[in-house]
Amino acid sequence: MKKIKSILIANRGEIAIRISETAKKMGIKTYGIKTSKEPGAYYLQFMDKIIDFTEIVSDIPEFLDIDRIIYAAKEYDIDAVHPGYGYLAENPYFAQKCNDEKIIFIGPSPDSIYKLGNKTIAKQLAASHKVPLLQGSNGNIRDYKHAKQLAQKIGYPVILKAASGGGGRGMRIVEKESDIEKMFRMAQNEAEKAFADPSVFMEKYVRNPRHIEFQILADHHDNIIHLGERECSIQRKHQKLIEESPSVALNEELRAKMGKSAIDIAKASNYRNAGTVEFLLDESGNFYFMEMNTRIQVEHPVTEMVTGYDLVEWQIRIAQDETLTIRQEDVKLKGWAIECRINAEDVQAGFTPYLGTIEKISYSKGKTCRFDSGITEGSNVTASFDSMLAKLICYGETREKAITNTLTALNKLQIQGIKTTIPFCKAVLNHHKFKSGDISTSFIAKDMKKLYYQEEDEEMIAAFWAALNYNVELETEDQTYVDYEKGKNMTPWLMNKRLKSL
Amino acid sequence: MDINGKIYKDFLNRIERFQVQNGPEKIKKQHAKGKLHARERIALLFDKDSFEELDAFVTSATPDTGFGRIDEAFGDGVVIGHGRINGRIVYVYSQDFTVMGGSLGSVHAKKIMKVQELALRVGAPIVGLIDSGGARIQEGVASLSGYASIFHRNIQSSGVIPQISVILGPAAGGAVYSPALTDFVFMTKNTSYMFVTGPDVVKEVLNEEVTFDELGGAEVHARKSGVANFIYEDEENTILGVKKLLSFFPSNNLENPPFVEPKSKKEKNIDKLRSIVPDDPNKPYDVKKVIDLIVDQDSFFEVSEQYAPNIVVGFSRLNGKAIGIVANQPKILAGVLDINSSLKGARFIRFCDSFNIPILTLEDVPGFLPGLDQEHSGIIKHGAKLLFAYSEATVPKITVILRKAYGGAFCVMNSRNVGGDYSFAWPTAEIAVMGPEGAVSILYKRELQDAEDPKKLKKEFAAKYRQDIANPYIADEKGYIDEVIDPADTRNKLITAFKTLENKHVDQPARKHGNIPL
Amino acid sequence: MFSKSKKGKQKFIACTEKNKKFEFINPKELYIKRGKENIPIEIVSDKQGFVYIVWKKRKYQVEIIEKNQNQYEILVNGVSYSISVESPFSYKRRKYLAKNKEQSKVERIQAPMPGKIVEFLVEKDQVVKEGEPLLILEAMKMQNEIVSNIQGKINKINFNPEDTVMKDDILIEVER
Repeated sequence: MKKIKSILIANRGEIAIRISETAKKMGIKTYGIKTSKEPGAYYLQFMDKIIDFTEIVSDIPEFLDIDRIIYAAKEYDIDAVHPGYGYLAENPYFAQKCNDEKIIFIGPSPDSIYKLGNKTIAKQLAASHKVPLLQGSNGNIRDYKHAKQLAQKIGYPVILKAASGGGGRGMRIVEKESDIEKMFRMAQNEAEKAFADPSVFMEKYVRNPRHIEFQILADHHDNIIHLGERECSIQRKHQKLIEESPSVALNEELRAKMGKSAIDIAKASNYRNAGTVEFLLDESGNFYFMEMNTRIQVEHPVTEMVTGYDLVEWQIRIAQDETLTIRQEDVKLKGWAIECRINAEDVQAGFTPYLGTIEKISYSKGKTCRFDSGITEGSNVTASFDSMLAKLICYGETREKAITNTLTALNKLQIQGIKTTIPFCKAVLNHHKFKSGDISTSFIAKDMKKLYYQEEDEEMIAAFWAALNYNVELETEDQTYVDYEKGKNMTPWLMNKRLKSL
Repeated sequence: MDINGKIYKDFLNRIERFQVQNGPEKIKKQHAKGKLHARERIALLFDKDSFEELDAFVTSATPDTGFGRIDEAFGDGVVIGHGRINGRIVYVYSQDFTVMGGSLGSVHAKKIMKVQELALRVGAPIVGLIDSGGARIQEGVASLSGYASIFHRNIQSSGVIPQISVILGPAAGGAVYSPALTDFVFMTKNTSYMFVTGPDVVKEVLNEEVTFDELGGAEVHARKSGVANFIYEDEENTILGVKKLLSFFPSNNLENPPFVEPKSKKEKNIDKLRSIVPDDPNKPYDVKKVIDLIVDQDSFFEVSEQYAPNIVVGFSRLNGKAIGIVANQPKILAGVLDINSSLKGARFIRFCDSFNIPILTLEDVPGFLPGLDQEHSGIIKHGAKLLFAYSEATVPKITVILRKAYGGAFCVMNSRNVGGDYSFAWPTAEIAVMGPEGAVSILYKRELQDAEDPKKLKKEFAAKYRQDIANPYIADEKGYIDEVIDPADTRNKLITAFKTLENKHVDQPARKHGNIPL
Repeated sequence: MFSKSKKGKQKFIACTEKNKKFEFINPKELYIKRGKENIPIEIVSDKQGFVYIVWKKRKYQVEIIEKNQNQYEILVNGVSYSISVESPFSYKRRKYLAKNKEQSKVERIQAPMPGKIVEFLVEKDQVVKEGEPLLILEAMKMQNEIVSNIQGKINKINFNPEDTVMKDDILIEVER
C-alpha cells in the first residue's frame, strides 16, 4: 500500500487538532472541513488546507455527509481520511465507500466495524471465544412483554441498551418491574432518534462496577498487542468525565488475563488498527466484555502518557501497511496519567449544556501536563455540537503525584464566558475515596455529596464582589452628570421652525 | 414677630401635628407591608433636600355621612410638590396609603391636578407615585369627577411634557387609566397591582379563581399585557430606574434631549461587529449585542423588555446624545413582526418623535408573521400603526440593515421612501421582495413541479437567488440605500450621520392631527 | 434605603439563594470584617484580563456572568452563586414577602434549556405525582426527562411534540 501524503480530517474540535499535530510531525498534509455552523472554528487554524462546506446542500450534518466527504477527498486527490471519534468513525458503510473509492480509511475494515458495532453480533463473537459476558437477552427485544419476561429470568436490576448505540444514548437501567414498560419505550425511542434503529437489548446490571478498557493495536501482518488499560469509572449517565491509566484495580496477573481477552476479541473479528475493548470489572475481580470501540477514543492520551507511544501515529502507520514494531513485552506502563474532560456544562444545574462564547482562556502546558483543546478566545459554544471543549491530561510518577499535578493544573485552567466542568473535576480529585482509588461507575451518584468543589469563603467572596459592584454602580449612576442645558441650545433656525410648526 | 408669642407657637404647633401624622408609626405601617412611605419615596427620587412640598396642610373635604372611616389628616392622602433630579425641576405627586388607603377624594384629586397644571405651565416632567385604594366611596361622584379631570390633564400634557407613572401599590378600577395615558409605567414586583376589576369580581362574575399577582401583578403586565414598561424587584430600584429613564428626556417638546459624557472614549471592541451576524441567514443572534457595541458604553436602557421580545426598543446614547433604538430581535421568532411587536414599536417611535429624540433602526426582519390568528386579530391595521408612526415621525431617522429586509416589512421598518433620512446596510444584508425559499417557489413553480428532485433543485435556485438578488449591492447601485458599510464602522458612520441631521426640520401640512389606524 | 448613616456608613446586605446573608459596610473601602478584625481585600487582574480577589493570602478568580438590577450571578473559581444585593430596607421587604408569599395555584414547568420536545408523557387533566416525568426534551442530542415538582393536575400543555422551545418557555402548567 502506498505511503499516505495527505489526510482529510473528517472531524472538528480538539480531535481534529490532535490528528493534525501527528500528521504534521509525520510530514503529511492535512485537509480540514469548514462548516457553516462554526466557520471561524479554532481547529481550522491547524489545517494545511481548508475545504469549504459552508454552503448548505443537504439536511445531513456536514461531518455525516458521506457522499460529500468522499467527493471532496477525490476532488482534492487526498490519500486518506481520518474520521476521529463520533460522526463517521464507526460507520461501516463509510469505511466501505472509502475502500471502493481507493481512499485509505484510517481505521479497521468495514467488516470489523460492522460486527463489533452491532453489540448483539459482538457478544456472539465474544462468547464463541470464551470471553466472559454478562447474562442478557442475547439479541434484540421484541416488545415490552418480552422485556418483562427476560428481566424476570435475569433478575432485576437490568439494563436496556440500544443495539447500535454508544456513548450512553439509549441506555436505561430498570430497577423494578413497574418501570419496565416505560423504560423500554424510552430506550427504544432514544435509540430510534439517535441511531435510526430502535433495536434494544437487555443485560444484567452489575452494581458498583468499574469501567476498565484495553487499548489494542493490530497491524495487517497478524501482529496484535494491547497497551494496557484505562479506568473510566467516573461517569455520569454513562458519559465518561475523568479517565486514568493504569487502574488501581488491576494487578499484573489480572492485567495479563484481561489483556488476553481483549486481544482474543480483536483477533476474532480480524481487527486492524487501533481499537478499545471495554469491560466491566466487579468488586471480586470478575470481568465481563461490554463492547469494542473501533476508533480512537477520547481518552487515548492517558495511554499515550504512560506508554510513550503516539496512538494516532500508529493508526496512520498501520493504515499505510507498516508493520507493528512494538512487541507486547516492550509495553510498560510507567507512572500514572489522569484525564479531565472540560465540558461546557453547568454542573450546579445537573450538568445541563451551557452555551456561550469563550471570552478568555488560560492554562499551563508542560512536561507533566497536556491540554488537548478545541477552543480559543472567541470560540462559540453552540447547541450544534457536543459539549466537550477540551481535555486536560496530567502525569505523575505515582497516582498520588498525578492527582496533585492535575489539581495544580486545574487551578491554573481558567475559562471565562461559560460554565464548565472544572469545579466538578476538582471535587472528584479532592474526594477521599477517589484519592484512595475506591471508585466505581456509581461514584458520582453514590459517593459524591456535592458535585462541585468549593472552598470555604468562596460564597462570601461572591457576595462581596456583588455588593462591591452594586455599590460602584449606584455611585456612578449618582455621579453621572446629565447636561440638560445642552438640550436647550439650538440653532435659531431650528428653534424658529420648531416653534412655528406647533 | 415674637418668637415666644402665641402666633409663632401656633405656627410651630401645626408643624408638630403634621410631623406626628407622618411620624415613625405611619412609616412602620408601610414598611410592614414591604412598602416605603410616600415621603421616603420622594426622598429617594429627588436630589438631596431639593423637594418643596405644596398644599401640605389641606384637609379632606369628605363629609361625615356616618358611613366609612374618615381620617382627620393633613394632605388628604397625597403629597405633591417639585424637586430636582440631576439638577432639573421635576413635579411629583405621591399617594400616601397610610391616609385613608390613599383613596382619591376631591381634595386629593385637586392636588394632583394642581401639579399637573404647574408642570404643563412650566414645561417640566411629572412623575406620579401611585399607591391608592381607588376612588373614595364616601365622596361619590366628586371622586369620580376628580379622576376624569386628572385623565383630561394627562391627555393635555401628552406629547408636551414627559409623564411617568410609578405603580407602588394597588391601582384598581378607574385609577388604572391615568397611568395608561402617561408615557411610561413602572411597577414593583410583588407589591403593585393594576386591574380594572379585581379578583373578587372576577370570581363572582366568571367563577374563576385568580390571585392578585396572576390578574395584575408586575410580571403579568410586563410580559403579557405590555402595560408595564419597566418592572423592578423593589421600590428602591424602581425609583432608580425612573431617574435613569428621565436622564434621556428633555423637559418638554421644545427642547432637545440632554447630553451625558460617554463613560469611556476608548475605541470599543468594534471588530466584533463583523462576526456577530452569522452568514447562515437562518441562524439567530442577539441584536442587543450589536446595540451594545454601537452605542456609548452601558448606555442602552431597554423599554418593555419582556413584552413582544421579537422587537427590541429602548433609549441609548451615541457620543453623549440620546437616541431611541428600534431593532428586530432575530433571537426570538427570527425577529418577525407581529401585532404586539408592531404596537410596541409604534408607541415607542411616537414618544421619541414627540420629544425630539432621534431614532436608530436596526433591521433584520423576515417579514410579518403569517397565520389565521394574526390576520383575524388585525395584523393589517396594527402593522399599519408601525408604518404610520415611522412615516409620521419628523425626528432624524436612520436605518441600518443588518441582514434580512424582506417584503412589506422592509417598507415599514423606516425605509427611505417612508421618510427615513439615511439607510445603511451591512454586507450581510439581503433586500428583496421575499425570502429566497418563498421567491423561488413562485418564480420556478413549473420547473420545480417537473423536477426529479424538487428539494435539491429548490435549494439550487435559492442559492442562486441569494447570490443574484438578495444582496445589498443592487439596492445600493439603484440608490435605494445610501451605502453598504463595514460593520466595524457603524458607530462612526452613525455619529456623523446624526450630527448632520441635528438641524433637521420637516414642514408638516396644517391639520389637527393625522388619523393613525387605531 | 441605601442612604448613608451619619457616620458615612453605607450597609449592603448580600443574600444568597438559600437566604444566607453577608453584610458589608462601605465595600468600596475594600475590606471584609471578620469578628472584630477588618481584613483587607486586594483586587488584581492578570495580563489576559482575568480578575482575582486576594483575601487572606488566597486568590479567587471572580466573574460576573449575569446581572439584572440588584441580582447578580457570580462565578468564583468556576462555581456560580446567585446573589441579590439589598439595602437594610429592601432586605426587610424581601423577608416580609417571602413569609407572606401567596402560593400560586398553578406551577409553571419551564424549559431548563433550549431544545426540541420529543414527546409528552402526560395529557391534560391527568393527575401527576411529584417527581413524575411530564415530557422528554431533547437538547444537545441528549434526551432529558422533565419532571413535575409538585403533585397536581395537568392544567395546560403549551406545546406539541417536535416543537422547538427556548430556555424558560413555560411547557406545562400543573394545578395544585
